[in-house]
Amino acid sequence: MKPQTPVDQASGLAGRSWGMWLADALVVLAIAAWAAGASRLPDFVLPGPQAVGLRLLDLFTDPEFFFHTLASTLRVMLSVLLALLIGSGLALAVRALPVLEGLIGGLLQPFLSAFPSIGWAILAAIWFEPGHGSIVFVQVAILVPFCLINMGEGLRQMDREMLEMATSFTRKRARIALQVGLPLLVPYMMGALRMAYGVAWKIALVAELLGSTSGLGFLMLRAQGSADLTTVLAACMAIIALFFAGERLLLDPLARRLGGR
Amino acid sequence: MSPARVAPASGLLALAFALALAVAWVAATGRVPAYVLPPPAEVGAALLGFFTRAQRAMHLGATLAHISAAIVLSFVLGAALAFAAHYARWSAPAIHQRLSPFLSAFSGIGWTLLAVIWFGVSSLSVVFSIVAVLLPFAIVNLREGLLALDAELTEMGASFGRDPWRSWRLLVLPALLPITAATLRIMFGVAWKVTLTAELFGGGRGLGYLINMARQDYDTATIFAVILLIIGIVTLADRLLFAPLERLCTRQFGSAA
Repeated sequence: MKPQTPVDQASGLAGRSWGMWLADALVVLAIAAWAAGASRLPDFVLPGPQAVGLRLLDLFTDPEFFFHTLASTLRVMLSVLLALLIGSGLALAVRALPVLEGLIGGLLQPFLSAFPSIGWAILAAIWFEPGHGSIVFVQVAILVPFCLINMGEGLRQMDREMLEMATSFTRKRARIALQVGLPLLVPYMMGALRMAYGVAWKIALVAELLGSTSGLGFLMLRAQGSADLTTVLAACMAIIALFFAGERLLLDPLARRLGGR
Repeated sequence: MSPARVAPASGLLALAFALALAVAWVAATGRVPAYVLPPPAEVGAALLGFFTRAQRAMHLGATLAHISAAIVLSFVLGAALAFAAHYARWSAPAIHQRLSPFLSAFSGIGWTLLAVIWFGVSSLSVVFSIVAVLLPFAIVNLREGLLALDAELTEMGASFGRDPWRSWRLLVLPALLPITAATLRIMFGVAWKVTLTAELFGGGRGLGYLINMARQDYDTATIFAVILLIIGIVTLADRLLFAPLERLCTRQFGSAA
């Protein structure tokens, strides 16, 4: 998708540019500076990398902490899938019934896009019993516009000539949709998935701040309330780790598999 | 299925749906508790308060100030980093492969909670957390713009004059305007997504603070009013300011592609 710079292509130790070495040296330097700063500051202002690293380990091994990590992870995955389904459904509805364009593309999408994320969290806290359902509702409401925009764009860009060609081979519309339409949509679906997954971890976690008793967002807020900065920072690092793990272990392989058809 | 024939019917349907929703809202008045679904009149009065009551106008102004300051700061910082990576190649991996992915993956509420501890409940905390969220968007978008710069254009500039600053000002800067407009548009949209959260947890004023007070008072009318106000501001600014600006820049300075 992005043009590769020469620096991106340099891989392997021999071909490593010294810019890469510098980048890694800067990371080491940043951690050293963090450690040096932390040793002079109290723990509630800046805990050291070692304490944060140990707590980060706890988040994935200690049952009490892991419960929160798991709760966030599972809810993020469920919300992303639901948002993709709803966004795709709405985009397909416009495709099937163009008369819906004004309602979905002109009204619903700008409305959802501009809706403040914390607004959903507050309304859900008023409207629903606290629990997983309420949190997933908020996350889905935040993520749907991103999926809707991407899938709508995919359907608009879909090569009509390809579909026409397919029509000349078979009359079975389901077969055309499955074998020609779906592969054409895959890049946009992956785009929607990546976008929604990123936004879910970065922004949609606000859903866990109000009326929740589980999840990394809840954990962070509770830790901040008791000035436990070690846990706040460790939760931030865990989110970064989970974000990249999901990209590398789930989304990249999925994109490769779907793209290889 | 020409769009021209569908458009009026489609617009009518959207209008009819919006009207039906409004009627249902009016009809619900008195049937559901006001803290669950406040009557339209109360929400309208709360909305009007933003233009008539000094205190509410102050909160609105504070939010607008937070957002403007954060967009300007993160754009300048992001531009500085993107230019550094472009013109001093050795810094590119550090910026694009270490700093930018790190910032991109960092949680928005994480920044807010950290900022409150470091800077206290203040506008500084709010602006800091918005800047932290917006910065990667600025870096990534401006990088794309710089990569798309036409090498031949730069060469041509060099053949016309020796003054690099002059060719930079007359060629590079205008060529970057379309992506700058697009970047600002994206940043504006994202800023509204995170500002309220930052103000709710880290600010002593602003719409996020107001919405939090309203939440504690079960004043759902004000919550609705704030949400509607934001939807209005974001939609209007996008359609009347950012979209035309982007079109103008693209038409004036964009490449043929």
